[in-house]
Amino acid sequence: MLSFVLILIASVFFTGIIVRTKSMASGRKGPGIMQPVKDVVRLFKKGAVYSRTTSFIFQIAPTIYFSSVVMAMMVVPFGQSRGFISFNGDFVFFAYVLALGKFFSIISALDTGSSFEGMGASREALYSLLAEPAFFILMGSFALLTGYTSFHEMFAALHLGSYISYAIAILATFVLVMIVMIENSRMPIDDPKTHLELTMIHEVMILDNSGFDLGLIMSAGFLKFALYGAIIANLFLGMVPYQYSIPLFFIIQGLLAVVIGLIESFIARFRMSHNPQFIFALTSVSLLIFFGVLLVLGKFV
Amino acid sequence: MPAQLIINVHIVKNDLQTGKWQKTMELIYLRIENTTYFLIPLLCKILHNNFPGLQMTNAIILMDVSWATTIVAVVLMCFIPTTKKSILAIFTVIINAILTSIPAVQALGGTTTDFSFYAGTFLGDVPIRIDGLSAWFILIINFTSITGVIYGVGYLKTYKNAAYKLSLHWILFILFHLSMIWVTLLQNGFVFLIAWEIMSLSSMLLVIFDGHLPKTLQAGVNYFVQMHISIVFLTIGFLWVYLETGSFGFHSFQTFFASNNNLWLFIIFFVGFGLKAGFIPLHSWLPHAHPAAPSHISGVMSGVIVKLGIYGLIRVISYVQSDFNLLGEIIISISILTGLYGILNAAVHRDFKKMLAYCTIENIGIIGIGIGLGMIGLGSHSPLLYYLGFGGALLHVLNHSLFKSLLFFAAGSVYQQTHTRDMERLGGLIKNMPQTAIIFLIGAIAIAGIPPFNGFISEFVIYSGLIEGLKLGNINLSSLLILSFAGLSLMGGLSILTFTKSFGTLFLGNERETLPHQPHEVTRIMLLPQYLIIAVMLSIAFVPQWYLAIVGTLLSGMALVSHPIDQGLDVSLLAGYSKTLSHISLYSLLFIAVIGLFWMIRHFAQKNKSIMTGNTWGCAYVAPNNRMQYTGKSYSKPLGKRFSFMLIEKKRYPEIMAGEIFPQPRKYSSHYLDFIEHYIIDNAIRLLLTIVNYFKFIQNGRVQSYVMYGIVFILTIFILTLLNLVK
Repeated sequence: MLSFVLILIASVFFTGIIVRTKSMASGRKGPGIMQPVKDVVRLFKKGAVYSRTTSFIFQIAPTIYFSSVVMAMMVVPFGQSRGFISFNGDFVFFAYVLALGKFFSIISALDTGSSFEGMGASREALYSLLAEPAFFILMGSFALLTGYTSFHEMFAALHLGSYISYAIAILATFVLVMIVMIENSRMPIDDPKTHLELTMIHEVMILDNSGFDLGLIMSAGFLKFALYGAIIANLFLGMVPYQYSIPLFFIIQGLLAVVIGLIESFIARFRMSHNPQFIFALTSVSLLIFFGVLLVLGKFV
Repeated sequence: MPAQLIINVHIVKNDLQTGKWQKTMELIYLRIENTTYFLIPLLCKILHNNFPGLQMTNAIILMDVSWATTIVAVVLMCFIPTTKKSILAIFTVIINAILTSIPAVQALGGTTTDFSFYAGTFLGDVPIRIDGLSAWFILIINFTSITGVIYGVGYLKTYKNAAYKLSLHWILFILFHLSMIWVTLLQNGFVFLIAWEIMSLSSMLLVIFDGHLPKTLQAGVNYFVQMHISIVFLTIGFLWVYLETGSFGFHSFQTFFASNNNLWLFIIFFVGFGLKAGFIPLHSWLPHAHPAAPSHISGVMSGVIVKLGIYGLIRVISYVQSDFNLLGEIIISISILTGLYGILNAAVHRDFKKMLAYCTIENIGIIGIGIGLGMIGLGSHSPLLYYLGFGGALLHVLNHSLFKSLLFFAAGSVYQQTHTRDMERLGGLIKNMPQTAIIFLIGAIAIAGIPPFNGFISEFVIYSGLIEGLKLGNINLSSLLILSFAGLSLMGGLSILTFTKSFGTLFLGNERETLPHQPHEVTRIMLLPQYLIIAVMLSIAFVPQWYLAIVGTLLSGMALVSHPIDQGLDVSLLAGYSKTLSHISLYSLLFIAVIGLFWMIRHFAQKNKSIMTGNTWGCAYVAPNNRMQYTGKSYSKPLGKRFSFMLIEKKRYPEIMAGEIFPQPRKYSSHYLDFIEHYIIDNAIRLLLTIVNYFKFIQNGRVQSYVMYGIVFILTIFILTLLNLVK
């Protein structure tokens, strides 16, 4: 349960830090760190406008999307304390629960009958499916390395010993950071600040959402950041005692937010048609990790 | 009364034991005579609740009654009025299903039923065996056939005027159902082939219900030809075993596999059964036959008949004795390719029944991964992997038979109301057909393997098997399995794309074209079987440990002959996983609860707020129309572009010529071709035709030449015998 609370806390600041980093990098003062959360709270208080074209799918989708992220949060452990949900092969459950949220967010975009939103939905479906193998190969490699199959046991058994294991950890961090960018539709894949609907992915999918529903979608985004941040933090926490691991957790989360802010400030968005290649290349990085694991286990003789 | 009934039972037994099936005609007569007498004691016995004690003879009685019912029903079908035909069909299928389910349920409990019947001097005693494996498939066949026949009655309501067509259709359906069951029962290769042939023929005739349409007829002929290629391979396989061992019985496989190379015979059977199952490159009948058939037939075909290929494979595997690892690796590699190929094609096609047919190919791939894993488990002496692999495969067979028939039924409802299979012409159907929309949505989520539905359960078992296999340590195996892992996850992602596309295009947004008839929700008789299926699906999703336990007992009792791990085949190995599965079902419940909680919060938060409706935000464009919605084609176009080496798009449009200042209205069309069918199979056929053309002169239509061929033949034989070359 500890991880659940920590992720919740981290999510409050995460997006604020990204925004702040970006504004500082561009020489502006920028809004306060709590501004995104304040925006969402304001949205929660508002009424809503629904399109005449939409059906009940559009109404339930944000709730299901948000719940799927909450469920996924319960699976992620924190150092030696396991998540609320933990069983052998729970990372499969993690990925598939998030998939339900994605499924509904996609069909809710299609429910509006808008061609822009359909376009965003199409991209979202394609990019997230291409990122899937990378995550699964990564987790499979960890399972092979540690001999365990649940998030908690795998992370608890990860030891940074040899040079190869450092390489594995760095590559794994890279893969996970990139998955964060894809899952949250951030910079090299998608530009959340663009003003042209044609070039958006996530933002265009939620064009018609408003009020409470929009708030749910936004806060699910915050949670998703902290959720993947927690997985990355777990790579390094292992069996570190709590008095060090909790501050370390927040440092890693903060660092991740700053890195994302910097990436967004200095890298331009890829051309849409190049995105699939880039995302699929992640799978080959994951395969490198797999071969690294085989090296560590001494299978290459 | 009870005393008299028991006497009746004795008469029956005596008749069967002394009469000994010698004269078939007489027996049929006898059975028709006694049908009513059979039924009453049977029901009495069920009421007395002692059918665990039913023995072999009772299984014979049950089979007898089922044949008698069928014959009576077939004869009756020709004479009763059209409106009654469908009711008769429903009753016959249900009676047959109940009769065959009783021994099947016993077999799942662990009591295998063995008996045989005498079939003439040539075949001798034909052994019949109802073991766990047959029972699992019998129950799946029965359930899908019952839902299929009920749905079909509603679906064919519009064909009231075609009485002859309906009688033939329902007679064939009854035969089709029964032949599928007999395929799983017979243990003699020769008789098995007869049942297999009846099954293929009856299903082919069911497919061409709309035989006046050339496309349907073409699909039927295609299916017919491919099924016979399958039968050729199966015949070669059985004949080979017969020549080596002198027996057509399945038990002789054991002798064969013990003394011969296992690989080649297995490959022959793999091709034979793989044609039915739809492994690539043997799949090309599926995307033609499924869309052509009426929807209840496509549902049953995709749900069950394809699975009988899987049944055959597992049956053969249970006799294999060596080369497990090699065979397992072959099956896994083919299955991964099958899965990816199937779902990629499903993603781009706009005919929604074709999409579902390709999706069947994908699921066969997933089942194949499970089978391959199980074989690797046998090869590397890991009983856990054996259980997870075959267990996952069998669970997925069940799951797929449920959600695929559900999806075909829902698709059929859409077709019945709109008379088009082109999803680009539809849209917004959720407003006209809300129940069908929800049913399709449930099927779509389940088939994508997403919790809280049943698809996740079997996929999770297969994923667990893959992780278990990774740990076996062999580097080749680990590399293959990690790629399967990635492949399986990619299939999951692709099926999300496929089903968001088809659900979104069919049911969401606005209607793209004004249809000639306003679509309405379908009748209750069509909805009922779909809700039945959903109920069973939910039972799998929320009590998965029960189904896993059944599969576990089934697998521990499977007739694995002299397998290398017989001492370690302990079902308790699965205990950990059954616990995990029960936890997953709890977490799924929790998931639903969380959704409910946030829904309530949302409800209260919005209570006193202003809720308005307006137009969809058109990004400042104020005159949008329905034709401007995003199409399914465009939705999957980026994917099609990425995989253009495999998804062949054919476009047809006239170019705008230079100097054509005022272009006329023109047509643009584009469709996707099946890579394997178009480039490999078609080319092979073309080559074959070119070669065969050179021999055209033989069949020249002149009777004189034909007579001469005869004379040459006789002379050759004569000379050969003279020279003692032929005896």
